[in-house]
Amino acid sequence: MEEPTTFERHVYKNASVYHYMKISLDLENGKRSFSDAQFKQLIISALKELYGEVGAAFPFDLLKFDPSSLKAILRVYNKGLVKLWSALTLLGSYQNEACAFRVIQVSPFLLALSGNSRELQLGESLTS
Amino acid sequence: MVRFKSRYLLCEVCVPERNSLQLLDERAIHHTLRAAVNRAHGDYGSALFNIGVNVKYLNALTGVVFIRCRKAHYRLIWSALPFITHLENRGQPQNVQCFFNCIHVGGTIKTSQKFLAQYNRQQLHRMLLDCNTDAEKQHVRRAILSCSLGNVKGEEAEDEEGSEDDDE
Repeated sequence: MEEPTTFERHVYKNASVYHYMKISLDLENGKRSFSDAQFKQLIISALKELYGEVGAAFPFDLLKFDPSSLKAILRVYNKGLVKLWSALTLLGSYQNEACAFRVIQVSPFLLALSGNSRELQLGESLTS
Repeated sequence: MVRFKSRYLLCEVCVPERNSLQLLDERAIHHTLRAAVNRAHGDYGSALFNIGVNVKYLNALTGVVFIRCRKAHYRLIWSALPFITHLENRGQPQNVQCFFNCIHVGGTIKTSQKFLAQYNRQQLHRMLLDCNTDAEKQHVRRAILSCSLGNVKGEEAEDEEGSEDDDE
């Protein structure tokens, strides 16, 4: 006689301490060369403008940066997600050039950022 | 029942020379406070300051400032107070060095006023210990007697008179 399999369900209310954001920077006048330090400095200046010294001191990390497509992955604590996102939204210009941050994905788990159903490209065998 | 709640921050402005205190007015404090909140909390802080904060009362002789904030944001304004190092003075070009010392946070003006009366009485007692000459001591003792007899008759007055007799 086999025992019926028991299963446990774990429910997490607050799954992860961090939130990860995948963002890209759009510049009006085409591409410019950015180093990762310059990119982080740009985000810090956006935070500083909106939230002051106290806001700019909030720790966040630039995990990955792609200079050719200007895409990046940021990591921030849960408390600072709203501030960071709002500061990125409201950044208008960089050195008198219009620019905009596009937020592609936000997730509490880094693994979720690896697959994005928006950028999914179906192979040709499936469409036939 | 929806009641509009606010918080009253009772602060003391400490300056190195007492004469420079007399030149202050509410607008200078308001201006300095706004600049400090803007530096510490950015555009968000400035917006909160504009909607909800005003300087209600300023006592130029003792340096007591009474600031009114909304209940939702009073901690933000409070956190910008330690960053104020000098007050702008429109009359004279040089700035007055100062620092803000928050002594009480109250929900209504009445509680803050009660606290302020008690605080001033404690300050008078402390001044009595610091007095150097006898004339100053007499002056401070008379001030203590006058303020304590005025409020509570009976036990407190007897205690004050009893301690005075013990000193002499």
